[in-house]
Amino acid sequence: MVLTHRNVEGVDIVALAGRLVMADVPQVRQRLLATVEQGNGKLVLDLAEVGFMDSSGLSVLVSVFKAARLKNGDVVLLHLSPTVRSLIELTRLQQIFTIFEDEVAALAYLR
Amino acid sequence: MAITRTIMLSIESRPECIELLSHALHGLCPLLTLSATEMNKIELAMVEAVNNVVEHAYSFEPIHHIWVEFELMPERFELRVSDRGQPMPSGRLAEAQGLMAPDPADFDTWTPRTRGLEIIKACMDTVDYVVLDGINTLSMSRALNGDGMGGRV
Repeated sequence: MVLTHRNVEGVDIVALAGRLVMADVPQVRQRLLATVEQGNGKLVLDLAEVGFMDSSGLSVLVSVFKAARLKNGDVVLLHLSPTVRSLIELTRLQQIFTIFEDEVAALAYLR
Repeated sequence: MAITRTIMLSIESRPECIELLSHALHGLCPLLTLSATEMNKIELAMVEAVNNVVEHAYSFEPIHHIWVEFELMPERFELRVSDRGQPMPSGRLAEAQGLMAPDPADFDTWTPRTRGLEIIKACMDTVDYVVLDGINTLSMSRALNGDGMGGRV
């Protein structure tokens, strides 16, 4: 799993690429939680290049979301691949996550 | 003539090895009459089942083996995941009764990690679990749309 980080006017944007599964969970969780900790808790997760995710990968997104909320921040999801969208809808977590298809709109929401 | 074909794979009980099974499953895609969405559900069910073995049956001990059998039948695709670890508690499969909507006000209801069996049930048509002679086997099946022979007869 490859993570690419940038910051746009105080909002962290992390693009994930590859498979987000049990084997990747410790590393990805650590890096995303560190991003939340070091930033202001406003985070966009771009999942366009995530080809597959299981429930352990999804639990990483949930734990990062919780960490951001505890810091009075927020996490939004951007560009869900069909596979990831299917898992999120299966687990009904679209009721928790705010999802965007446009980065400008995601940034405007968090600012 | 319709025939049944089976392939069995064995991996070590390490999370890094589970991806190998996904590649093997995708290698069977040309033989199945399922959409990409349906294949994704089968892959998700398989990965969740093997995750459960790694985490619960073997407690992340990497020295064990997990066997995964793919059985392609004319009208059905069956997956069997077997291990020699700690069996699933009696009744756990029956208790997995669908994925509840998370409560936005309750963090504890958001975590999907503990809902692997529910996800498996949502992805597959049938799910069964047996323990026989120290071997635990979770069997999952999904109906195929066509003849399941990938154009072969």
